[in-house]
Amino acid sequence: MAPSPIAEAQVLDALRSVMDPDLHKDIVSLGFIRNMTIEEGVVSFDVNLTTPACPVKERLREQSRRAVMAVPGVTDARVNMTAEVRRPQTPSTSALQNVRNIVAVGSGKGGVGKSTIAANIAASLAKSGARVGLLDADIYGPSIPIMMRSARPAEPRPDNTIEPGEAHGVKVMSMGYFTPGDQPLIWRGPMAHKALQQGLLSVNWGELDYLIVDLPPGTGDVHLTLVQTVPVTGGVIVSTPQDVGLQISMKTLRMLQQTKVPILGIVENMSFYVCPHCGGRDDLFGHGGAEEAAKSLDVPFLGAVPLDPAIRRASDDGTPVVIAEPESSAGKAMAEVAGALARQVSIRAFRHLSLSIVEE
Amino acid sequence: MPALHPDQTTPVELRKKGGERFTVRWADGHESAFGARTLRGRCPCAQCVSETTGQRLVFEEHVSPDVAILAARTVGHYAVHFDWSDGHTTGIYSFDYLRRICPCDLCTGRAA
Repeated sequence: MAPSPIAEAQVLDALRSVMDPDLHKDIVSLGFIRNMTIEEGVVSFDVNLTTPACPVKERLREQSRRAVMAVPGVTDARVNMTAEVRRPQTPSTSALQNVRNIVAVGSGKGGVGKSTIAANIAASLAKSGARVGLLDADIYGPSIPIMMRSARPAEPRPDNTIEPGEAHGVKVMSMGYFTPGDQPLIWRGPMAHKALQQGLLSVNWGELDYLIVDLPPGTGDVHLTLVQTVPVTGGVIVSTPQDVGLQISMKTLRMLQQTKVPILGIVENMSFYVCPHCGGRDDLFGHGGAEEAAKSLDVPFLGAVPLDPAIRRASDDGTPVVIAEPESSAGKAMAEVAGALARQVSIRAFRHLSLSIVEE
Repeated sequence: MPALHPDQTTPVELRKKGGERFTVRWADGHESAFGARTLRGRCPCAQCVSETTGQRLVFEEHVSPDVAILAARTVGHYAVHFDWSDGHTTGIYSFDYLRRICPCDLCTGRAA
């Protein structure tokens, strides 16, 4: 009876017993095994190491050979040691080399108006003549495409880059352009990470004075990716006056501080309500909490934005209130916030020289 | 661990001297000079320090004496990342961490 043919899976299973001592993983999981051929009882394959200077090369060769020889039916194992120095997975940030300032807008919890503030800051800076980009990094709940209705949405190019959309003088990129309106994105962290990297690095942003990044709520994957991928000029925290909202927002602030992202300031949203009928003012959620927090934390307070039906009208209409109703109390407040932010960015740019590693 | 002053953890100059040394000059004027092997042996990544127990798994003596820094680059504003000649690339050394592991006599308490 002829011996039954040896299956590649059997050989791979046997090779799983061989561990790389540096990487603490077996050489099959590490993807080191290449070009396997099995001819009758003779098994040949490459073991592709991460460096040709591997000090344990011979040991790995011998262990691999022995493991394969132990598979029933194998008469000879030919192990060819190769190496390829892997490039680190760090993307090049050259796509952003013409972006002068990257400003992250975050909050600890959802629903505080982060995207509304980000859209208005972007539109207001553009209105003042700056070249502005807006990246919606809230990939799970992108709202920027609604608030910044664009005649020309972002679209992919054949060269694997993305041409940003344009709305109200702002270059806009959002995952919302690529997913149907009511379809959820069901992604795990690594996909979110990839999507943000693409949004940052594969978009043809061109020359920008400010790239505003609208972060998702909280302190997760996307935030870490952002601070690790690009040098962020600074972060803006949006909070409601309510203590709860504020305490949670502080988590985002602390995270930015821990990763050495300068805090450009705090914005208090839904700060107060002016009754359109009697003109009386009502502090629905309390008032001034964010300003006090800014003071005690010694970070700039960028302004208070009222609850104003004009904001909702304008946002649902696809035009930020600073453009749609610049004379409304909310429109004025948003313009003030954008101005205060631009001022802080300038102060930072002056104070902070970019850090690079000198090679000798 | 006592909190460090921001000036103690803000680098003003980072230098990679060949593959053997990496130096940091800090905003408070202090200078930290790391040998490649020492630095590789204090890699803070999850392969070198157990994520569950916090125990170090890879020590300096496990690292080849002639390990070299192939490349060094900054990570955002807060850390440095190294590619090592032994193929290891997963460590992100925050500036806080680098200052805390400064090997000089003053910082290690060897200078009395």
